[in-house]
Amino acid sequence: MLTTIALPHSWCGYGKVIEGFKAKYPGITVNELNPDAGSADELEAVRANIGNMGPQAPDVLDIGLAFGPQAKEEGLLQPYMVSTWDDIPADAKDAEGYWYGDYYGAMAMLVNTDLVSTLPTDWSDLTKPEYANSVALAGDPRASNQAIQAVYAAGHAQTGSDEGAAQAGLDFFKAVNDAGNFVPVIGKAASVAQGTSPVLIAWDYNLLAWRDSFEGNPQAEIVVPANGVVAGVYVQAISAHAPHPNAAKLWMEYLYSDEGQLLWLEGYCHPIRFNALAEAGAIPQDLLDALPPAEAYAKAVFPTIEQQNAAKEVITTGWDSTVGANVSE
Amino acid sequence: MKPRKFWPWLVFTLGAAYFLVPLIATFEFSLKMRRGYYSFDSYGSVFSDPAFQATFAYSALIGVFAIVVGIVVVVPAVYFVRLRLPHLRPLMEFITLLPLIIPAIVLVYGYIRLYNSSSIVPFTGSALGTDILLICGYVTLAMPYMYRAVDTGMRAIDVKTLTEAAQIMGADTLRIITSIILPNILVAVLSGAFLTFAIVIGEFTIASLLNRPAFGPYLQNIGANRAYEPSALAIISFIITWGAMGMIQLLARFAPRSAPVTD
Amino acid sequence: MTETVAPPRPTRRFTFEWLGVAPFVIFAVMFLILPTLYLVGAAFVGRDGQFTLENIAGLFTDQILAAYWISIRISGASALLGAIAGLAIALAIIRGRLPDGLRSTVMTFSGVASNFAGVPLAFAFISTLGRLGLVTIILKTVFDFDIYRAGFNVLSFWGLTLTYLYFQIPLMILMIAPAIDGLKKEWSEASQTLGASALQFWLYVGFPILWPSFLGTLSLLFANAFGAIATAYALTGSSLNIVPILLYAQIRGDALQNPGLGAALALGMIAITALANIIYLVISARAERWMR
Repeated sequence: MLTTIALPHSWCGYGKVIEGFKAKYPGITVNELNPDAGSADELEAVRANIGNMGPQAPDVLDIGLAFGPQAKEEGLLQPYMVSTWDDIPADAKDAEGYWYGDYYGAMAMLVNTDLVSTLPTDWSDLTKPEYANSVALAGDPRASNQAIQAVYAAGHAQTGSDEGAAQAGLDFFKAVNDAGNFVPVIGKAASVAQGTSPVLIAWDYNLLAWRDSFEGNPQAEIVVPANGVVAGVYVQAISAHAPHPNAAKLWMEYLYSDEGQLLWLEGYCHPIRFNALAEAGAIPQDLLDALPPAEAYAKAVFPTIEQQNAAKEVITTGWDSTVGANVSE
Repeated sequence: MKPRKFWPWLVFTLGAAYFLVPLIATFEFSLKMRRGYYSFDSYGSVFSDPAFQATFAYSALIGVFAIVVGIVVVVPAVYFVRLRLPHLRPLMEFITLLPLIIPAIVLVYGYIRLYNSSSIVPFTGSALGTDILLICGYVTLAMPYMYRAVDTGMRAIDVKTLTEAAQIMGADTLRIITSIILPNILVAVLSGAFLTFAIVIGEFTIASLLNRPAFGPYLQNIGANRAYEPSALAIISFIITWGAMGMIQLLARFAPRSAPVTD
Repeated sequence: MTETVAPPRPTRRFTFEWLGVAPFVIFAVMFLILPTLYLVGAAFVGRDGQFTLENIAGLFTDQILAAYWISIRISGASALLGAIAGLAIALAIIRGRLPDGLRSTVMTFSGVASNFAGVPLAFAFISTLGRLGLVTIILKTVFDFDIYRAGFNVLSFWGLTLTYLYFQIPLMILMIAPAIDGLKKEWSEASQTLGASALQFWLYVGFPILWPSFLGTLSLLFANAFGAIATAYALTGSSLNIVPILLYAQIRGDALQNPGLGAALALGMIAITALANIIYLVISARAERWMR
């Protein structure tokens, strides 16, 4: 058995990845925990289940870049180097093999065009009155890497650099909240379609997958903001207290094989071995065409670990006091 | 008489509107999956989803076990308290009120801390153990209702006389409970059973925190990720609950009374 | 009826009775009492394992106090409105001389609706009052009134209260019906004979008698709403700042970064719901007097 956590089926096409893994190893059942977990929730699941060999203890983690070093320090991870280790860029992996980058994408917005007539073009548009009661994040900024990076990206657009971007992001969302535009839900496909949050901020691969799931009902568009394009890397890791470490290693091998990486590409994510695969000519052209245009990534900023850590600190602790998005009257 | 009937009718109509409009709205929304015209697409999508079938079957099975355990725990206790230990009655009433005081989320927090792998009774250490913990959690949630149903049922039959008659015939206590008492309170027990089932099917908090593949977390997940299927699921949920409650009403007509109520 | 006192029996019979009650007692201890006591204890244990009042003190931060306050307000509002509306509807169907079948239909429906809480209820209200909800659209197209532009949101205090009413009102109807049944016909006839109007009957006889049951059920409704999480969670995910969701986020992801504080949060919840239920018990015990 393999216990995974926080893997929604529409995230990077994980549904197909899990099916592929099950097809390759029919003897391993995959026990999927809480697909809505944020990165912090994943680490807590490991902590809370130390010594527990039961089905609540996750074997493998997929967490934001900033959460990798933190988890390693706490002793929550065990090292493992996959056979394609050398293809992974050095700045996206831990030298000792405790965590290793898996895919990346850029922060963008999904807009339900049945409900919203003018598309926003940049972060600053979100405070305008036509987006009243419309804007949501795709996670809890106190625990979800996706939401934290969204706040950071908004701040980066305001400051133009990493300096003070996190705090600027918090201030920006305070402005959005004060304008009455912020909706305190965890936005997903349903909330966009049902109109609860017609403007949703999340990773572009998620937005693309969700837009596909609508099948035209409702109509939706993806907007990459003019400024503050932040790309985020996620990392894989095996829990130090994994009940099934060997199944975990097989899982990692599958993910980093050509097959696994291409399935992620199908899910609109840029797999970490993208460059190596491209050089080897292993990527089918139609997958490349379905991706967001490369120009969007030209301006993308890849925050380093230190920058992400600092931002995470500021945003998780400052969210409630600065923005304080609560039940309104 | 006309003006006197105005207010009751007005109140009733307003109340009916408040309760029926959301149901109509939900049904209408569930028909909108295909752009432009009504269709039952969302229902088709729901029923063909393997996760729907799996989680519903799981919750239904857990519900059945919860009912059985509930009966085993509650019926003998009520029987003996009625018969021989009437001084324990206030204590029983208090205990069965506790699940209404302590919210489910607090209970499951206690379970997770108390019964993890490092405790004497490591429920959460295995899938089966966690399932058992889930069943016990549901029995606890349903206990006030099961107790009230069984107690009402036993109140309506003359437990003392039935017991004495059976003892004279030579039956031992186990035989008495299973062959004499249980059939006579069957209707009341079934009421409790349907109520338990209704509670188990829709329950979210305990199942999601114990990470079991139950129907409640599935509903939550669909609610976040699909646009039209959640409304279809809400209607299906409502029909199931209505079915369970309707059965209880139906059964209430068949409740036996073998002696005048004595207390 | 003569009390049949059991003559002294051999010990075997005695053991049997306790054996019969034993499963219940063991069950109650393992799954009700122990977990609660454990949490109560854990609320007083600090990170170092020593007794401390720090966790309780930790409850008095802005965010947590705000969560408690808003939970109390939503529970209070939905309880009060639910109680009044439930009372009105119950009176209408029981004493309003409406067609007979209506009462049993309403009672069955109340049984269903009071259990409808949770995830499906959230979907139902999004379909009704959400941006694309039926009522929202009707109000926009027929009455040209855009409630969302006016600032309404299902995720607001009033939106949540409105949603909670869906299971509060039926609960009230179910609980107060026996009390209304207890208003004997003889009393209203007697008051009519003495020349009192309907209003006077209610003012001096009816409501004073119903008052204890009303208050008692009000407390029950309050406790019911206070502990409810599934509906709110389905509406908003874990970002809404009410106490049950805070506790859920704490259990799931250690959002408060402090297990002791989580236990204290749970303790606070128990204290508030216990208080509400004690009020219910005390008042309904007094109300029993009128039922005989």
